Amino acid sequence: MRFGWRREVAGWHLLTGVALLLLCATISATGKKAREPKWWSIAKIADPSNLISNHIKSNSLTDHYLDPAIHRILRKKQRRLVRENPGVLVAIAKGARHAVHECKHQFRNRRWNCSTSSSNRSKRLFGKIVSRACRETAFLYALTSAAVTHTVTRACTEGSIDSCNCDYRTEGPSGLDWEWGGCSDNIDFGDNFSRLFVDAGEKGRDPRFPMNLHNNEVGRLHVKSEMRKECKCHGMSGSCTVKTCWWRLPYFRRVGDALKDRFDGASRVSVKNAGNARASNNRQRNRRRKNTRRRRRKSFALLKPYNPDHKPPSKKDLVYLEDSPDFCVRDRKLGIKGTHGRECNKTSIGVDGCDLMCCGREYHTRVIEVHERCSCTFQWCCVVKCKTCKYKKTTHICS
Amino acid sequence: MSFLSPSAPAPSSVMSMLGTKCIDKNYKNTQWYWSRGKQPCKSIGDFDSPIVEEQMISANHIIFSFQIPIPKDGYPLDYSRWQQNLIAMLHLDILYDDEDEVAPDAVMTLDARLGYSNRGDPEGQWTEYASSVEQRHLDCCIEQKKPGYMYNCSHVPLFELGSLHHDFYLLNVRLPVDMLDTSEKTGMNTKLGHINDMWVAFIHQNGGFTKVWVSLKTIFFPIIVAIMVWFWRRISQLSRPPALLEYMLMVLGAALTLLNCPLEYLTLAFDCPWMTVVSDIRQGLFYASLLSFWLIFAGEHLMDDIERNRIRVYWRHLSAVLGGCLCLFIFDMCERGVQLRNPFYSIWATEIGTNLALAFIILAGVCAGLYFCFLSYMIWKVFMNISSKRQSLPAMSSARRLHYEGIIYRFKVLMLATLLCAAMTVIGFILGQVSEGQWTWDENIKLEYTSGFFTGVYGMWNIYTFALICLYAPSHKRWPKDQNTQSSTGEEIEFSRLATEPSEMSSLTAFTKKSATD
Repeated sequence: MRFGWRREVAGWHLLTGVALLLLCATISATGKKAREPKWWSIAKIADPSNLISNHIKSNSLTDHYLDPAIHRILRKKQRRLVRENPGVLVAIAKGARHAVHECKHQFRNRRWNCSTSSSNRSKRLFGKIVSRACRETAFLYALTSAAVTHTVTRACTEGSIDSCNCDYRTEGPSGLDWEWGGCSDNIDFGDNFSRLFVDAGEKGRDPRFPMNLHNNEVGRLHVKSEMRKECKCHGMSGSCTVKTCWWRLPYFRRVGDALKDRFDGASRVSVKNAGNARASNNRQRNRRRKNTRRRRRKSFALLKPYNPDHKPPSKKDLVYLEDSPDFCVRDRKLGIKGTHGRECNKTSIGVDGCDLMCCGREYHTRVIEVHERCSCTFQWCCVVKCKTCKYKKTTHICS
Repeated sequence: MSFLSPSAPAPSSVMSMLGTKCIDKNYKNTQWYWSRGKQPCKSIGDFDSPIVEEQMISANHIIFSFQIPIPKDGYPLDYSRWQQNLIAMLHLDILYDDEDEVAPDAVMTLDARLGYSNRGDPEGQWTEYASSVEQRHLDCCIEQKKPGYMYNCSHVPLFELGSLHHDFYLLNVRLPVDMLDTSEKTGMNTKLGHINDMWVAFIHQNGGFTKVWVSLKTIFFPIIVAIMVWFWRRISQLSRPPALLEYMLMVLGAALTLLNCPLEYLTLAFDCPWMTVVSDIRQGLFYASLLSFWLIFAGEHLMDDIERNRIRVYWRHLSAVLGGCLCLFIFDMCERGVQLRNPFYSIWATEIGTNLALAFIILAGVCAGLYFCFLSYMIWKVFMNISSKRQSLPAMSSARRLHYEGIIYRFKVLMLATLLCAAMTVIGFILGQVSEGQWTWDENIKLEYTSGFFTGVYGMWNIYTFALICLYAPSHKRWPKDQNTQSSTGEEIEFSRLATEPSEMSSLTAFTKKSATD
């Protein structure tokens, strides 16, 4: 009985292998390898402060205004969005930088430490790993999408984007709306903008299209669900007969933490029928805003758990199609640097422990002298007075 | 009233704003710093910016600027006078740093200025509305004490404006510190940790809600005035002086008229910062007269044949109402009264103020408790008397029986109506609180319920008062003298109160009598 069951499992492995092969076949059939969305590299090109000065310099916001480098990385629809919403480009650039920063923080102790290419020559930001539809890629999509939602919402709250909508629900002359019922929360604009902008970076032909859309949506959803409600009572004599509540945007670290948790519990899926996705996408391309919702639902319906015994992924689960590589050794094809030269923690039993980090290889132990600031006195915002302390530190480095 | 509510928006809405960090090495407290429009201030994105180090920026050179309202849909919004009031709540984003933690009892000193400008003013011309240096307690906690994580700080009240008279407002807030080179060391703003951002949530009443509310008032105001005139004419036609209960009805009507008076129209033309205080007082007066009315009504229906009909008899009970209202009034004047002079003032900011405010509120609570004890005791007594009278009813003469039946009937009607109204108010309030509390982003459906509740409750109590005045007005019909009363001599003495009444009974009693005799 037991034996038979095991054989069944083995059978599953075989099936998996076949499925993987088939998947590779479809990818090669399309002729193109999946690449990371071009707009991500805005984090590399654009220094947000430069963009601000550019923005001030030119009052007319035509296509020519856009920096040629930015013009190149944005798709037509994205360029239109940037043109229509002055000030949004700075927010997107900041968002991309936040995403990189957050990713590096979340993965600082893992084999894959979210390395980015800093050179301007390479077109990609996170490297070739994105061409593989693995967990890490899923995380990157969700994180970048969340970061754009976050920074655009924040920019609206700061008043640096004029075109943030007052209300998505009612339509009419904006002045009257505002006087009658106030404005909805800025997260509505941030969420919608991110959906239009980030999802526009995806191509329907891509077999990974449903996966990417789903993960983008997961990112946005996490920004929303991390919002905290604050209330104020201001009824008669300050009593709670009248209570007004509002939402507070989370600090981006909280979103990063939540997404990292989802990364650990991501579910592997397979796409039901990629051909359908393409067809439906093409058909709906003309009808824009209404469709995003439908498109999303469609992409969601296309995903089914890879293991039929598992539950289908929820709206908040990250999904991936392929297993991750082990990131141990350098792999040019996938742009993996390997863990050679990485620092590890001898006492930890987690992924940052030397055994796991160095993939069973040896590691060198070195004692170095570190100069660090200590016994500091602070005065907000910016005055810090510190002493420099010297102490010895033992480091372990993978060979 | 409730039919208006689906179209009415929520009573108030919020515009949350992130402060722009303006920098000025030569800060002057006469200068304004704004972030949009012509010549915006020089600003930095965050405090890690290289500019900070280059120019040696310190806390005294940083001005958090809030220019409201924020433009939307590419259109510069302005506040409308229909939006009535403005409340600002401030919260700080403070990053954890193991060497620079936020002190548990940290006090921040805010140097805040509020200016205004109107459409048609030249751009950049701001007029000072109020300015003050205030202290606020910072209440922060943190779950994970790790660098890079954010403290969870509760918001603090910043200012309250009773009128939203101008189009644009500009708030400049500084968190000044002692200059390092001065000998003076007050320790001002030293234990605040790593402040990253300052947010202010601006709450204002919705114009749509004000419009619905004011139109309700405009409808009810003449109706209640008319019914009161009618009621008073009825009373003045009587040969006897008005009874205490009738005086109370007039007082109740007057208080409601005061509440109904659509004073809000004034705010459309004039700057009326006193409006919130006045509306608090108006509401308080109405509640006080309603509560007193219930007490006296129950007292007048005790049927224990003690001559009352004088306000002095009720002094003990009424002092509970008056005491409670006085406490709330003093508290209100300490908070919103002082805010007339300094909008940045908050009684909760200082230790003494907090204790004082709490003392007044607790005292008011005690008074409310006392009041409810009195009232429930009285109602219980009335019901006891009713049941004892019920048993002896068949043995009574017809006039006497009718008199008591009338009293019992009108007491029960009022009891039922009052309980119904009170229950609906309480249920509505609880539902409102619950629905507000459960509203999360995950469920996205939000039922707009609060404004329906407010308009509904307001209309209900108007109708309640209207009905009271209507039903308890003395009948203008002359009641034929009952011959039997003269013959039964044995009951003469007990009848002394009754003898004057039969001809001048309230219309409701008259109606019951009539149906009873039929």
